[in-house]
Amino acid sequence: MTINSTSLQATGAHVTSRATSRLMGVAILIALLGAPLVLDNYYLHAVIISMIFLLPAHGLNLIVGYMGMLSLAQGAFFGIGSYVSALAAMHFGTPFYVNFILAGLVTGLIALPLGIPALRLRTYSFVMCTLGLVVIGEAVAKNWVGLTRGDMGLSGVPQPVLGFGAHPFTVTTITGYYYLYLVIAVLMTGLFYALVSSPAGRSMIAIRDNEIQAEALGIPTWNYKLVVFTISAAFAGFGGSLYAHYLTTVSPLTFQMFYSTTILIIVLGGGAGSIRGVVVGSIVFVAVSEALRISPEYRMVMYGLMLLLLVFWLPNGLTPLIDRGLAMLSGARK
Amino acid sequence: MTELLIEQIINGIVAGSVYALVAAGMTMIFGVLRAINFAHGEYYMLGTFSAWYVITKLGVSYPVAIILAVIITMGIAAVIGRLVMQGLVTAPFQSGVLATLGLSLILQNLIIITFGGTYKIFPGGWLEPVFFGDISLAWQRIIIVLVTIGVFVALEFLVQRTRMGKAMRAVSQNTACCLVNGIDIERVVLGTFVLGGGLAALSGVLTGPINVTVYGGMGEAITLKTFAVIVMGGMGNVRGTLIAGWILGIAESFVAGFIGLQYRDAVGFVILIGMLMVRPTGFFSVQSRF
Repeated sequence: MTINSTSLQATGAHVTSRATSRLMGVAILIALLGAPLVLDNYYLHAVIISMIFLLPAHGLNLIVGYMGMLSLAQGAFFGIGSYVSALAAMHFGTPFYVNFILAGLVTGLIALPLGIPALRLRTYSFVMCTLGLVVIGEAVAKNWVGLTRGDMGLSGVPQPVLGFGAHPFTVTTITGYYYLYLVIAVLMTGLFYALVSSPAGRSMIAIRDNEIQAEALGIPTWNYKLVVFTISAAFAGFGGSLYAHYLTTVSPLTFQMFYSTTILIIVLGGGAGSIRGVVVGSIVFVAVSEALRISPEYRMVMYGLMLLLLVFWLPNGLTPLIDRGLAMLSGARK
Repeated sequence: MTELLIEQIINGIVAGSVYALVAAGMTMIFGVLRAINFAHGEYYMLGTFSAWYVITKLGVSYPVAIILAVIITMGIAAVIGRLVMQGLVTAPFQSGVLATLGLSLILQNLIIITFGGTYKIFPGGWLEPVFFGDISLAWQRIIIVLVTIGVFVALEFLVQRTRMGKAMRAVSQNTACCLVNGIDIERVVLGTFVLGGGLAALSGVLTGPINVTVYGGMGEAITLKTFAVIVMGGMGNVRGTLIAGWILGIAESFVAGFIGLQYRDAVGFVILIGMLMVRPTGFFSVQSRF
């Protein structure tokens, strides 16, 4: 069951020196901050989409990379988050940050009771069960017409309103979205880092590596699994909220396999268990294909080939390649 | 009321036979490979597409198209089996999930790229109705049920009485002992996989005239329903699969008839999750038996 005995091993070890990583991080941040000065709106749009997908990918990374389980339900929670956020904004006119937090909380609360039966299952059963959650989520979104307006979806989701006191401010431009979502993506990545580098994160890794031993050491494995499942759903819900307010429409299409697959590819392709892997993964697999205007069909073929590549030749995703690149850079610096 | 009930049950058995044909291949592949084939519905789609292609573009008749479609799909399955599935023999379960998920994406979208994403109309089939009292039934539906029963009898014979079947049972029980006894696991895996692909294709061609539409994404829905069937039947249990297919078919047609058509596709998954919770070995399994 544990993933570490498999070829899809999570890469936790830091090969590069901390200074190099930090330097790279700062360089990337500066590049991202300055991007709107150089890139035109279409490329900014591509980066925005990849920042949206980064959040559910972080969530999935927590399950796959730190708990060693394979879940396909992330797309469902992404969809639930987008509906929650859209409905809150449309019915109650709440400001953006309230919708955003609400989307994460409600999605987490929905995931909690679903996790109790699902997490009792292992390997194939768990994967099939999580897939079932997506299908049932889609059925609910399509058929609960009173709330979701069925196949028509919800259109006219308000753009993010950042209300500070008496001067509410609505984000309308691509550049505005870019900076807002960049701030959120950086904050959420920071939160994720804090989570996995805390003692709780180390307990998760212990459960991934040897569940029985972890239990014997006094780690409440069941509680951890449930909490991780909930948190990962909450991350997906946050991402869904960003998606709803960016596209300003929400529809049952969000429950299609496309989303779950994309999120899975970001995590596994980038490298499960590695934050920078997932960040790079979201840029490579979402931003690049969005920027190159690759049609969804070709993109899916590409993802499919990538999955085969991962299984047979690149079990750790892109992270080892990044590390090697960084090592070469730091070597060149000396 | 009773007529409606009987009609629902018959419709359910027809739909269930289709699921059972697809699921038989998947459950056998699970038996020998211990891998869930997420791409299995794509062979159903490939079968339907090949038949659609040879009928509309080459102008062959429907019976010939059935044979051609099964052969074409088995050819494709043989290539994929050789390149991918054989590599999964020693791989852990995640690899199986990811590789077959990848295959499903590739097959489905290559078809959409090649033939376009629009819905196509399936030509041919025997749709003349037969009357049993007040109930009319298209020939095609009767044929589907009869073919399915025939296939399952043949499978039972194959698994229980032939060398190939013996090898399949051996591989599903203990791979190390197979190696010791000189059973070529990779060959058994390839054989099972091609057979399973062929059955899925057969199922696709036979339902083509009833479903009428042909499109690239049609396999995905079938894959998902097949999960419910193989779990109910007991993973690796061929006989149980037929009964489980019928149970799912009848349950779906009752839900569609008495609750609402839109809920039909969720039935399979509700059953799946329920089964996994309550009785993960399936209804009929002593163990995951072959």
